[in-house]
Amino acid sequence: MIEVKGLTKHFANQKGIFDVSFTVERGEVFGFLGPNGAGKSTTIRHLLGFMKPTKGTARINGHDCWREASIVQKYVGYLPGEISFLEGMTGMDFLNLLAGMRRMTDFTYRNELIERLQFDVDTPIRKMSKGMKQKVGIVAAFMHDPEVIILDEPTSGLDPLMQQTFIQIVLEEKKRGKTLFMSSHSFPEIERTCDRAAIIKNGRIVAINNVHELQSMQRKLFDITLASEQEAQALAQSSLDIVEHDGVRVRIAVQGNYNAFLAELTKYKVQNVDMHVQSLEDIFMNYYDKRRDGQ
Amino acid sequence: MNAALYKNMLKVYGKTIISYSVGSALYLLLIIGIYPSIAKSKGMEQMLQQMPKQLLKAFDLHTGIGTIEQFMAGEYYSLLFLLILSVYCVLIANQLMARLIDRGAIAYLLATPNSRRTIATTQAFVLLTGVIAIVAAIIVAGIVGTRWLAADHALNHAAFLKMNMVGMLLFFAVSGYSFFFSAIVSDEKQALALSGGITFLFYSFDLAGKLTEKLEWLRHFSLFSAFRPAEIVQGQTELLPVCVLLGAVGLISYIAAIIAFSKRDLAV
Repeated sequence: MIEVKGLTKHFANQKGIFDVSFTVERGEVFGFLGPNGAGKSTTIRHLLGFMKPTKGTARINGHDCWREASIVQKYVGYLPGEISFLEGMTGMDFLNLLAGMRRMTDFTYRNELIERLQFDVDTPIRKMSKGMKQKVGIVAAFMHDPEVIILDEPTSGLDPLMQQTFIQIVLEEKKRGKTLFMSSHSFPEIERTCDRAAIIKNGRIVAINNVHELQSMQRKLFDITLASEQEAQALAQSSLDIVEHDGVRVRIAVQGNYNAFLAELTKYKVQNVDMHVQSLEDIFMNYYDKRRDGQ
Repeated sequence: MNAALYKNMLKVYGKTIISYSVGSALYLLLIIGIYPSIAKSKGMEQMLQQMPKQLLKAFDLHTGIGTIEQFMAGEYYSLLFLLILSVYCVLIANQLMARLIDRGAIAYLLATPNSRRTIATTQAFVLLTGVIAIVAAIIVAGIVGTRWLAADHALNHAAFLKMNMVGMLLFFAVSGYSFFFSAIVSDEKQALALSGGITFLFYSFDLAGKLTEKLEWLRHFSLFSAFRPAEIVQGQTELLPVCVLLGAVGLISYIAAIIAFSKRDLAV
């Protein structure tokens, strides 16, 4: 459904994207992960036909995203990364404008989305909070029931409850056979929705993985508080990956080997467990280091 | 041209266009309102004759104020008319493209199945609708106002309409290059500086050229010197070449803007 081949874009400052290739099958949810400035938005801008590639092609449903942009737009729903609307209108005016420009006639799904995201569409846009604007953007991306949905950092600005609702909407769209492409910083979001994910860094695709493989790469940090310092001492001597040891607290890094970790813990009187999920950027770094070690 | 976008843009900019139209019409009514008392006092004409020729020329009063059109040309069309429409063209052209590009809102419009050409053309029509509406309001104010406030003085309709027509074409050109800068630049302030700066330069060149004979050559570099209201109402100018020039500048600017916008990279 989405086919990117050797996509290259040079910017004046040596930055850009280089030889980016991937395909997203019909009905697949594809995550696009990377730190800020890695080239996520640049790639998305090519998919939307906002930028002309220096080399290579991006195609959606067989149509070239640059040359046939207005045909491609028929199939696509898009949520931009930066929320900025036209001024001087309400949320509803704005949605009506886009519906008019799409020559949309069926408004049932739009109304359903508004209902689910729970916001007042008649608020003037300049008075909206960031999260509320994001909701308007989400409705704008989904309302015409497009076959392909491209989302740039979709949950930024949403509160945790709305993030849940959003993830549900994504999963429903997936069930309905839609193809979704979403960029994100947030690993849990990708984890819960995506089948596959590509990691981009410095403009190059580093890996395209099954999300479950990525999950096993994710290191989790556990802060264990034990009953006594002796116990903490003993735990710190164990074969687990000890990051830090301070009084009764021990910080342990776990990556995939959960059973060994749990088995070790049962030997002690654990008073508290705190978990820190490793940031995505750290996973990338970890991944790079491993690859470098392997070479 | 996309009807939904056009309608919505008119709704957003309608208030602005109406206030510019009402404002310019009211100013013209004011000018018409004071004409009868000025025409009565012979002193004004005498005073004008004593003023330096160049100064009169600068404010388009060198052909005198014998008729109401001449008075309008000098008191309105050579200053306020230029000011109001310049401000409208530069500001609104900037908002219709550069602001949307700078802030990223254009992404939503481009994500609909309409080509960039369609979207840019629609925005251009919105801008032009304003120019036409403002000039139309001025024409109505001129004709109705003369009958109402200066009933003893007959307005030469043909001369008055010609003056407005050339004025409108001037701002077809000004709006054209403003729209062009607005469409090719990614920074709102930069677009504003470019179109505002050039308009200001054009106006200053024209004024300086009129004031000082030594600087007369500067007028060749100013679009504004194509519009000579005092001479138009006197029937002293050949209108066709002026109209063709202004029309061509406007048309080429708009076409260039739409083509350049269709081909450029947009970081939105």
